[in-house]
Amino acid sequence: MERARQAGEILNARDLGVVACTRCAQVWPIGTRACNRCGHRVYHRDVKSLQRVWALWLVGLMCYIPANLYPMLRTRTLLTVQESTIVGGAIELIEYGSVGVALIILIASVAIPLAKFMAIAFLAISVTRPSTVSKNQRQLLYEVVEYIGRWSMIDIFVVAILSSLVQLNVLVAISPGPASLFFALSVIFTMLSAQAFDSRMIWDAQRWRKGKKDHE
Amino acid sequence: MNNAPDPVPIDPARETLFGRASIVWAIPFLALIVALTVAWQSYNDRGPLISIEFENGAGIAAGSTEVRFRDVTVGIVEGVTFSEGLEGVVAHIRLEKEVARYVDAGASFWVVRPQLSVQGVSGLDTVLSGVFIEGSWDSEIGPIRTAFKGLEIPPLFRPGKEGLQIALRTTPGGSLTDNSPILFRGIEIGRVGSARISREGNFAIAEAIIYEPHGRLVTGNTRFWDTSGFSVSIGPSGAEVDFSSLATLIGGGLTFDTFVSGGEPVTDGTVFEVFADEVTARNSVFNRSEAELLELRVIFDENISGLALGAPVEFSGLRIGSVEALSGIVDRERFGDARVRLNVIIGIQPARLGLSGDLGPEAVVSFLNARVQEGLRARLATASLLTGGLKVELVEIEDAPIAAAITEEEGMPTLPSTDSEISDATATVEGVFTRINSLPFEELLNSAIGFMQGAEAFVSSKELRETPQEIRALLGDIRAIVSSQEVKDIPVSLNAAIQRAETLLSQIEEGQAVSRVVEAIAAATEAANSVSASVAGVPELIEGLSGVAAKAEALPLDELTLQLTELLASADAILGTPAAQELPESLGAALDELNATLTELREGGAVRNVNATLNSAREAADAVALSSRDLPQLVEQITDVFDQASRTIAGYNQGDVISRDAQAALRDISKAANALTALARLLERNPTALIRGR
Repeated sequence: MERARQAGEILNARDLGVVACTRCAQVWPIGTRACNRCGHRVYHRDVKSLQRVWALWLVGLMCYIPANLYPMLRTRTLLTVQESTIVGGAIELIEYGSVGVALIILIASVAIPLAKFMAIAFLAISVTRPSTVSKNQRQLLYEVVEYIGRWSMIDIFVVAILSSLVQLNVLVAISPGPASLFFALSVIFTMLSAQAFDSRMIWDAQRWRKGKKDHE
Repeated sequence: MNNAPDPVPIDPARETLFGRASIVWAIPFLALIVALTVAWQSYNDRGPLISIEFENGAGIAAGSTEVRFRDVTVGIVEGVTFSEGLEGVVAHIRLEKEVARYVDAGASFWVVRPQLSVQGVSGLDTVLSGVFIEGSWDSEIGPIRTAFKGLEIPPLFRPGKEGLQIALRTTPGGSLTDNSPILFRGIEIGRVGSARISREGNFAIAEAIIYEPHGRLVTGNTRFWDTSGFSVSIGPSGAEVDFSSLATLIGGGLTFDTFVSGGEPVTDGTVFEVFADEVTARNSVFNRSEAELLELRVIFDENISGLALGAPVEFSGLRIGSVEALSGIVDRERFGDARVRLNVIIGIQPARLGLSGDLGPEAVVSFLNARVQEGLRARLATASLLTGGLKVELVEIEDAPIAAAITEEEGMPTLPSTDSEISDATATVEGVFTRINSLPFEELLNSAIGFMQGAEAFVSSKELRETPQEIRALLGDIRAIVSSQEVKDIPVSLNAAIQRAETLLSQIEEGQAVSRVVEAIAAATEAANSVSASVAGVPELIEGLSGVAAKAEALPLDELTLQLTELLASADAILGTPAAQELPESLGAALDELNATLTELREGGAVRNVNATLNSAREAADAVALSSRDLPQLVEQITDVFDQASRTIAGYNQGDVISRDAQAALRDISKAANALTALARLLERNPTALIRGR
């Protein structure tokens, strides 16, 4: 306790040996297993938060693989059926000269999801290992990931709108491919993973580790 | 504080792994399990990869070309590569597992493409969807095979097209159109597959299928024939073009019929022969046991053009086979010179010889051998007068050299030959036509018309109408005069006088006495006197004549008509002399015979008939000449009679008493005689006028 004060750190509930019930906000001394008022489990930090992050992150990544392997759009014209994957469609667009559109697709469907995966993984690792990146930057990174997550659904919107609009019977018909489902699942799980991340751990990390060292 | 016991670390009871683990982990586990299950399942369900080699890969695309079985997709092309040495295109196909078990060595694959043929359009669905590979295999599970060779055309026997599987074989010299339909009453009920030529090259054989349930139409008595192409025939009812259908006209086709009932049902693999046309097919029903051809070699000394492949081989006029091969042969050692001889291979149907019992080649050869000992020889003979085509005839020669016998040479019996009997029929026929051409038909007609006109004018002339009674009377008188003893005596006396003069002259010649001359003169005087005596009877004659004339005047008119009829009848009789009557008949007969000959010529008849006809024509011509030679004589005789009468009467004209009637009668007779002379001249000029006369 002296060391904590020496470090000039801000005191938190843990330092004071109390813990609040997350349901009814009643404060209990540390070690209390259940809230005496509402009966909810009382814990200082959600120790399983990181597990959830990793679990959902893994599911998102698993979904991301078929999302890229299977076709996203199935375009059936009079004579042919064309199936294009995300990357394949973007490459096709580049070949046709629509570099702008291709870039948007590549950024929205490839770069951002991949960046999100890396960002979440980095954040999850950084709370258990020492990191050179400052806590503020990590917090900012977390906020960006959270904010940008919903926009990854733009691909699914495009597919959904095209599929519902372009249904000209025999002439041309667009239907979503299996990849769209996996892509949507991947985005959803990534968002859940980001939400499962307890951002307070970013700030906890250093001290917790130090405490750990003290124990040793 | 230091005394205080160390605070006991209050570690919460260590929770189990499951207790510490978040429930959320279930999600990735579940996802993983699902993914692994799906992956395993798809791997497990994946069928084997087979490769099919095609000649070209037109339309086969990796990832989209399907393999279908009974029009259901059972596989997809995963890749197209070249075979080793770039000799073909190999399509790698992922088959469905369920079906793959059946794809064994018996499976066949071919590419279905849109096809436009005379029989219709097929594979139209592939125009939009692209080609697909059709597979065919039986329903028995066999050891899997992974490498196949694609077919160019769909196989004949395949599931969904079950039927009676037969084989069709060409008859010797016949032909067969492969990949063509088999029609029955105009409906396609079967198909001929691709044909192949037998190893010896003497026939073609093709697989064929009669689709169910039409297989029962085919029995042991069924005959197939070719309906491809068309035939043109010109007959009495005009020209006819005959063909089965437009499709078979272009693409060929077969049809069949069972002419005789009671045939046994056939099983798969039965071989049928394909005949050239329906007539041949129908005939073949009755020529059963068409055994294998017996081939014989015949070498002819003379090398005469006109013998062609397929030319008939006849034995006693019966066709027993045909010429199978022709070539020249030079064998100095065997024949002693280097002349080119005609080497003919004939194939004969032993059954046509009428041999009963064993029809093996040895039996037939021994039979022929026995006949050869009796003088059986092969010779070339004219088969067709118009084309000059030849045939091979087996004939028995009376005094043939005995040494000849059937000998085996290079595994083929050789039949001895003899001199050919080839008549230059073309020239003879030409001669006949030339002679027919040169017959003066037009002149004949003109003369006939002239004669008829002359006869009409003559018959309708007034004088003639008036004449008959006078003629009749006159004729009676003339008959009386001519038959009177006096007149009869004139020639006798003259004759005697001349004889005497002759004897006198001979006596003078013999240098006898002049007194004989005096005697002769005296005898002549006697003769002259006797003539005078005979003339003395003339007044009596004229009296008789007058009486006759008077009688004639009293004759009724109808009798006149009768007599006119008689006259015409007698004219008719002249015309109807046997020679004249025979002429048209014989000419007509000749023409009939000629006609018959021409008919036979058309049918390829014998030359003898032509010769006979020519003889007849010659005879007829001779008869014409004969009759025309006889005719002037006939007329001359008549003229003579009239001349005689005229002279006799002219003699009396100088007499004192001649009645007016007699004079008129004589004038009329003269006219009549002139008219007859004119007729005679006419006939003389145009003897043929008689031919057309009635």
